[in-house]
Amino acid sequence: MAEVAEKRLSIKLQEIHKLIRAEIPWEPVGPTPMPEPPDLRSWDMRLMKTYAPWYAPFCDVCCLCTYGKCDLTGGKRGACGIDLSAQQGRIILLACLMGCSAHAAHGGHILEYLIEKHGPDKKIDLGPFIEIEAPNIRTVLGLKPETLGDLKVAIEYVYKEIAHLLDSTHTGQEGSYLDYESKALHASMLDHVGMEAADLAQIVGFNYPSSVADVPLVEMGWGAIDKTKPVVLVSGHNPATSTVVVDYLREHDLEDNVELCGICCTALETTRYSDRAKIVGPLSRQLFFMRAGIADVIMTDEQCIRTDTPQEASKVGTAVIACLDKAMYGLEDATDMDTEDIVRRMVENKEHFAILDSTKAAEVAVRVAMEIAPQRRKQWITTDEATELAKKCTNCGICEQVCPNLFSIGEGITEVAKGNFDLIKKQFNLCIGCGKCEQECPNHVPIFRIMQVGASMETWKARVGRGPVMDTEIRNVGAPITLGTIPGVIALVGCSNYPDIDDIADMVDEFARRKYIVVLTGCAAMVAGMKKDANGLTVYEKYPPDFDAGGVVNIGSCVSNAHISGAAIKIANIFAALPLRANYEVMADYVLNRVGACGVAWGAMSQKAASIGTGFNRLGVPVVLGPHSAKYRRLFLSRKEEDDWRVMDARKREIVDTGEPSPEHIAYVAETKEKAMVMIAKLCIRKNDTPQGRGIKLNHYVSLYKKYIAKGLPPDIQLFVRRDADIPLVYKKEIRAYLQEIGWQPKEPVGLPTLIGTYPSKVPLDAVIH
Amino acid sequence: MSAVIPFHRVNVLTGLKAARVVEDATEYANLIGKAKRPLLVLGPLLLRSSTEGKLLLEYALDIARARNIPICATETLPGKVEELGAKPDSSYDAVEIVNALKDPAWKGVRKEGNHDLVIFFGIRSDLGNQSLSVLKHYAPHLKTMTLCKYYFPNASYSLPNFKKDEKWQAFLESLIDNLKKGV
Repeated sequence: MAEVAEKRLSIKLQEIHKLIRAEIPWEPVGPTPMPEPPDLRSWDMRLMKTYAPWYAPFCDVCCLCTYGKCDLTGGKRGACGIDLSAQQGRIILLACLMGCSAHAAHGGHILEYLIEKHGPDKKIDLGPFIEIEAPNIRTVLGLKPETLGDLKVAIEYVYKEIAHLLDSTHTGQEGSYLDYESKALHASMLDHVGMEAADLAQIVGFNYPSSVADVPLVEMGWGAIDKTKPVVLVSGHNPATSTVVVDYLREHDLEDNVELCGICCTALETTRYSDRAKIVGPLSRQLFFMRAGIADVIMTDEQCIRTDTPQEASKVGTAVIACLDKAMYGLEDATDMDTEDIVRRMVENKEHFAILDSTKAAEVAVRVAMEIAPQRRKQWITTDEATELAKKCTNCGICEQVCPNLFSIGEGITEVAKGNFDLIKKQFNLCIGCGKCEQECPNHVPIFRIMQVGASMETWKARVGRGPVMDTEIRNVGAPITLGTIPGVIALVGCSNYPDIDDIADMVDEFARRKYIVVLTGCAAMVAGMKKDANGLTVYEKYPPDFDAGGVVNIGSCVSNAHISGAAIKIANIFAALPLRANYEVMADYVLNRVGACGVAWGAMSQKAASIGTGFNRLGVPVVLGPHSAKYRRLFLSRKEEDDWRVMDARKREIVDTGEPSPEHIAYVAETKEKAMVMIAKLCIRKNDTPQGRGIKLNHYVSLYKKYIAKGLPPDIQLFVRRDADIPLVYKKEIRAYLQEIGWQPKEPVGLPTLIGTYPSKVPLDAVIH
Repeated sequence: MSAVIPFHRVNVLTGLKAARVVEDATEYANLIGKAKRPLLVLGPLLLRSSTEGKLLLEYALDIARARNIPICATETLPGKVEELGAKPDSSYDAVEIVNALKDPAWKGVRKEGNHDLVIFFGIRSDLGNQSLSVLKHYAPHLKTMTLCKYYFPNASYSLPNFKKDEKWQAFLESLIDNLKKGV
C-alpha cells in the first residue's frame, strides 16, 4: 500500500512539475510547488501560536443545515458536533473563499476575454524595469508565467483549490478552528495568486501603464462630470466592458461628446486605459450617484455593485446594461438580439437588458445615452428645494437606528429644514451610502436627494493606478526598509465603509510626511485624493509618485493588491536574494521578521477584503482594520506580555527569547484613526531593525503617541528598546529615565531572526540565510 | 431571550443568550458592589459632553473613584483621563483587553487576579457589542455590564435604550450616588 501511495504522490508531483515547467532552471523548485492545504499548515500553526484567532461571534447559533438551528452557546456543540470556535473558523473560511473566488473568477473571465482577443501566446511584458513579473505566482506555484496562456495555469490551480477548500465547509467535515483558519489562510494566499493573474492579464491585454511611476492624474468627483453631455457610468470591477466603451468612443470620435465615468474599481481600471475617463468616487457614493440621475446609462460588471441597480435606475430614468453573467438581475439576455432592437426598446420602452458581448454592450450604451440624454432632466437640488423637502423630517431617530455607521442623518436633515447646511456637509463624509435611512423613514423624506446640498461639487485629482512596483525601486529601497531607515510601507487598501471618509487622506498625509512609503489600492486609492490641503492640493499632488520614502503610490484596483504582497516578496527575492520559486514559507518568514510593512483596511466591508487581508496575514504582513471590521468575527492577536517571542538567530543557529512583540498583532481593529496611526507605526517594527532604523521607528511611534494619545511615553516602549542605541535622539532623556525607573535591561539584537527552526517544517535553516 | 431590540439595529441579536435589562441604578450599584474585582473599560465616545455640558468621561471617573475600580482607557482616552487627575491602569484597546480577559488565569490590570465584572462605557456600539460577544462566549468566568445609553444584547447586564439623554444621565448620577453611599 505504501508503495502505491508513494507512486501516486510521485505522479502528482510529476504533473505539477510539468505544469510549472520545472525543467527550466530559472531557480531551483522549492519545497511547496502548487501547495495544497496541508503543505503550509505548519507555518499557519506557528503563526497562530503567537497570533491566536480572536473570535467575536456574530450569532449564537449555526443555521447551515436542517439539523439546526443549533445553539452553540455555553460550550454546547451542534448536532453535527461542531463547536462555536470551529463554526467561526468555518464562516471565516467561507468569507475568504467568496473573496478569493470573486477575484479568481474575475481573472478567469478577463483571461478568457483577452486570450480570445490576443491569443494565448501573448507575451507578458511589463516593461524594462520589471523582470519579476509575478512574484505571487512564482512563489506559490513555482511557475514563471511568460504568456497569457500561462496565467490560465495559475487560475485553474486556484479554481481547483477553491473546490477543495469549499468542500471542507460542508456539514460533517473539518472540526478544528485552527484547521479552518489554516484553510482560510490558504484560500487567501490563493486570492493573491488570482488577483495577480487578473491584473497581469489586464496590464498586458489592455496595455495599462507599467514600469512607470509618474502616471497621469485624472479628474475625480461628480463636479468633474459635465452632465449636459450624455453620461455613461461603469460600475464594478471588471474592465472588459469599460475599455471597449473607450474604444468605441475613440473610433467614433465621440470622446468630446460623451462623458465616461466610473464608480468603484472599474473607475480605476478605466482610467488606467484612458486618462479622459473620470472617477465618480468609491463604493460609498454608488447609490447616491445613481439616485442623482446624472448617469444616462449604467453598465454593471461584477463585485460590489448594488443588487437593486435596475430598480434604482428605473426611478430616475437611467438605462441599465448588465454586462457580465455574474449579475444579470433577472433581465432579458439580449446578447444575441439585434442592436437596433435593443437600442429602440431601451429608449422607447425604458427597458434594461443583459448584454454579455462587450462590443455590443458598449455600442448600445453609447447610443442609448446619446438618445435619451437630451430628454432627461439632470438637476442638482437647490438649497431652497432641500430646505422645503427637509421640513417633512420629524427627527424621529429611526434613520439613526438603521445606520450602519451609527449616526443621525435626521439631525442633519432637521438643520437643513432650518436653512443650515453645515451638519449635512459633515455627515456626507460619514455616509457609507447604503440608503437604509431613506428606506426606513416613516415620513418618506428623500434623504439622498436632500444630501445633494451636503455633497461637495468640488473636483479632485487622483493618480492613475500604476500596477507593480518596479524591480529597480525594490533595489533602491530594499536595504532601508529591512534595516528600518525607511520606517515602513503602509498599504491603505479596501472598501469605503469608513467611520469618516477623510480618515484616509489624513492617514496618508501623516505617514507620507514622516517618510514612510504609502501605497494605495481600490476605494482607498480614490478616497485618498478626495481631500485638499490648505494649498488646494491632494496627497497625489503633494507627494511624489515613487515607491520610495515619502512617496504616495496608487497601485491600482482591488486586484492590484497582489502587487503589494508582490513587492514584499520581491524585497526578499531581489534585495535579499532568497529564491522564491515554490518557496512560500521562506518568503513569508522573511516578510514577517524583516519587512516593516503594515496593511490598513480602514473601511473593509466585503468578503474580498477579508481574503485580501488574510492573504497578507499569511505572508507575515499585519493589517489594521476599522471598527466595523469587528463584524468579520475574527482577528489575529497576540498577548504581548505572555506570548512566545522566541526566534531562531540563523547566524548563531540558536533560539533566542527576544521578548519583543514585533509585530504585535497581525489582524487588529482600532476604533479611531488616531489610535490606528499609533498602532500602524508600532506594527512596522521588526526584529531585524538596525539601531538607527529602530530609533527612527520608535521616534514615530512615540511622537504619534504623544500627538494623539497622551503626553507621556507609550506604556510598552521598553519592549521595543533593545539597547541604548535604539532610543530615538529626540526622546533620549525621557526614555532613559523611564527605562531606569522600571529596571529595564538591555538585550542583544538578533542578527538574522527567523521562525524557521522553531517549529516542525520541511524548510531547512540554511534556506533563510542569504 | 429578551425581546429588547438594540437601538442600533446592526447589533440585533441572532441567538439565545441576551443581556438582562437593568433600569434601576440601585440594582446596578449592587451588582458592582458585589464584584470582587470589577474593571471599567472606557472608550472614546466618553470625550463627548452630556446635555449638562459635563464630559461623559467625568461620569466614568466618578464611578471609578466611588469604588476604586481600575480603569482600562482605550484608544485616545489615556491623555484625557490623566488630564482629569486619574491614572489609567491599562491602555489596552477594546480588542486587546477582551483578549486578555478571556483567559481566566490572567492577572488583571492590577496584577490582583482576573476581573469578575467588566463594565463597558463609551465604545461605539458595534465594536462594543462584538467585544462583549467575545466575553459572552469565551469568558464564562466573568460578567459584563454596559453604561452606554443603548441596549447591548451581548452583555450580561445592560441599560435599556434611553430615549432621552437626561434620563440616562440621571441614571448615571444615581448610580454614582449609590456607589458613593456604599449601596
